[in-house]
Amino acid sequence: MSIGGSDLDQAIRQLRACRPIPESQVKELCYKARELLIEEGNVVGVDAPVTICGDIHGQFHDLMELFRVGGDVPDTNYLFMGDFVDRGFYSLESFLLLLCLKVRYPDRITLIRGNHESRQITTVYGFYDECLRKYGSANVWRYCCEVFDYLALGALVSGAATTLEPSDAPFADLNSQASMPGLDQDIEIETLNASGEVMFRFARNSEQSSSAAPSQNTSSSPLPTPARTGAPGTGASSSSSGSTGSSTGAVLCVHGGLSPLIDTIDKIRLLDRKQEVPHEGAMCDLLWSDPDEIDGWGLSPRGAGFLFGADIVKCFNYKNDLSLIARAHQLVMEGFKEMFDSTIVTVWSAPNYCYRCGNVAAILELGEDGGNGGFVSRSNGDVNRTQVLGEKVQGREGPGRRYRVFDAAPQDSRGMPAKKPVADYFL
Amino acid sequence: MAAPEIPNLKSLLAQRRGGLRGRGRGPRAPISHETSEAAKDEAVKGTDQDAAGSRVSCVELGYLDDPYAKVFATQQTVRRLPLLNRERRSCRSLGTYVRTTGLDQLILQFLTTAPGSPKQIISLGAGTDTRYFRLLSAYPSLDLTYHEIDFPCNTSSKIAAIQRSPAILSLLSHPPTISTDGTSLSTPTYHITALDLRTLASPTPPPLPNLNPSTPTLLLSECCLVYLPPTTASAILTTLSTHHLSPTTPCALVLYEPVRPHDAFGRTMVSNLKSRNIHLHTLATYPDLASQITRLKTAGFDAGQGGVDTGFVWREWVSEAEKERVGALEMLDEFEELGLLLGHYCVCWGWRDRGGEEPDLVFSDAWRGVKAQVGGTTGEGA
Repeated sequence: MSIGGSDLDQAIRQLRACRPIPESQVKELCYKARELLIEEGNVVGVDAPVTICGDIHGQFHDLMELFRVGGDVPDTNYLFMGDFVDRGFYSLESFLLLLCLKVRYPDRITLIRGNHESRQITTVYGFYDECLRKYGSANVWRYCCEVFDYLALGALVSGAATTLEPSDAPFADLNSQASMPGLDQDIEIETLNASGEVMFRFARNSEQSSSAAPSQNTSSSPLPTPARTGAPGTGASSSSSGSTGSSTGAVLCVHGGLSPLIDTIDKIRLLDRKQEVPHEGAMCDLLWSDPDEIDGWGLSPRGAGFLFGADIVKCFNYKNDLSLIARAHQLVMEGFKEMFDSTIVTVWSAPNYCYRCGNVAAILELGEDGGNGGFVSRSNGDVNRTQVLGEKVQGREGPGRRYRVFDAAPQDSRGMPAKKPVADYFL
Repeated sequence: MAAPEIPNLKSLLAQRRGGLRGRGRGPRAPISHETSEAAKDEAVKGTDQDAAGSRVSCVELGYLDDPYAKVFATQQTVRRLPLLNRERRSCRSLGTYVRTTGLDQLILQFLTTAPGSPKQIISLGAGTDTRYFRLLSAYPSLDLTYHEIDFPCNTSSKIAAIQRSPAILSLLSHPPTISTDGTSLSTPTYHITALDLRTLASPTPPPLPNLNPSTPTLLLSECCLVYLPPTTASAILTTLSTHHLSPTTPCALVLYEPVRPHDAFGRTMVSNLKSRNIHLHTLATYPDLASQITRLKTAGFDAGQGGVDTGFVWREWVSEAEKERVGALEMLDEFEELGLLLGHYCVCWGWRDRGGEEPDLVFSDAWRGVKAQVGGTTGEGA
């Protein structure tokens, strides 16, 4: 059976209803997806506007809620940072739907690999068992794992605007409106709830952006943050790093984080990614590492990847002309968490994770820089400047960031199959 | 998630084909049954099999050494599809490990203080707990009398399992005497008593057979009193510590219970359990460590109190070597979740000494140095 055209649309319809497609179609779909993914580099180039999403973990109904909140494919350009499978009940439907959308709209959805897109991890955390249970054999799991091996390791978003076009939306809490910056100011961050109401809005350089943002980490960093004196509304800054007009550095998206073996994005491009996720090395680190309040590198309690501190992120961003690293991998109760003076953000898109954590989820929207037609000159990888320790690192002005925060899909929207999730407690 | 919990879509589809007619046909339980007291009791009794299942997998994976865990796991708890035994849940195993280790440490500190003198433990709602057998096999010379109290349905299945287990029968010092209805068991040092704990809250509580009213006694509530209304739970403690035991007998209470119901994780926990008809009655009254400490003081355990969450137990009570051993057992990709989980269970303890001419400070001596997150002693040198 071929899965082109109308068959594909039919498969998408079926999967959207949370019904698995026949094994033969999965085989065909995975073959097509691999043909597509093999053409992608290890680091996929993505143009803003784009909506960046974190872990999904088989929470199919919450993925539907994500599409409801963030817009549907292909209307919205999506970038998913991995961990589609494991833990939730519907890894199969979630991953296959994303894969169908990828094959159907290859330029409107980007999938990169998470540490759970691996044979070893899926046999432990549920995806293997789910495939076996739903199809009676491991074939589908095997097809999916072959696709995993071809998923890109990262994405580089370019052309994101520094300033948000403020949402023309009501405020979730009218009392908070007064404390928010006016629309004449340069809006850097906006947080919307699932109904599209404004929860928070922060102007660039405003005091509010550090005091009012509940999930922003304001820890002092060993490196000085450049003072920015951009006139309101223009996005211009006093930065000497070459940021002009409303352009911003690129945004690197990766599932876990950085690796001590990777100091330039070009080094990611040189990896041979078409394999099972190794237990160590650069590819493993990109999928397993976590930012942490430490100096330099540290051992990860996960047993794979590393911990890395603010200094590592700031140097990496400077060297690679990045304004931000977006990553997933860690549950954050508020759905997103900016760290290290907003040089890195964790985005988590699985609400009420494992049906018991009680967290909200978020997606991150980066707008398009209208000023120069989306074209930004960059010099990734061929930076010849040497980084002297202690030298003042001048960061790129971050992109305007709109977070949409959402809760788990309401129970009554779950329709079939309406099995009540049973979460473990230690009673 | 556990594979058996994943809905089989094919079978669900088949059911669906039956249409709505099929759905309406079967005998339907009246809605009131869901909320009836009997159903709630059943749900609480069922929590013991949860614990038994966790204990078994925890032992199988090498977290805990407990040869007796398997004896009490029913078919249901160990049933797995052949290919699914690779399913591992580190969070679950670590949670069980930390809980067991934390309680074991407090209990051992008590038992090994003044080792020659007699001691008693009363385990409330003990269910399938194997602690007595583990203690007996590791410390055969202890002068310890161990009492377990639970619903008759729980005690009878436990006693039946003991009778089928040569390992346990040979471990016990004497052949056990079993009541004719099979719900109570007795040896000179081990007693299983079938009792609805709530009867101890009545003005005329039933006696507890074989209890020595003057032997230093540790009351253990491992996720038991939490299911009762706060006034009932307090009344039970008063009855045990002042009616069944002489008010001058050194006595302690060790609690293991959920904690912090008001944050996002806690709220989800309470509502998830409610949907299983499990109600954590005392949790609203004692939502944090500080309120547990006050509770212990008020209940007469006034010589000293301490409280920790199980995250603290893992960080501060488990040795680095042991952490390394346990950490190497499984790949753990659930650190944030584990942190949340461990922060929502606590171990709290409080005690009274005997002063006067013949002082007995066994609990003060045992626990004075225990590292607590909240609490302290009221004695000198604290």
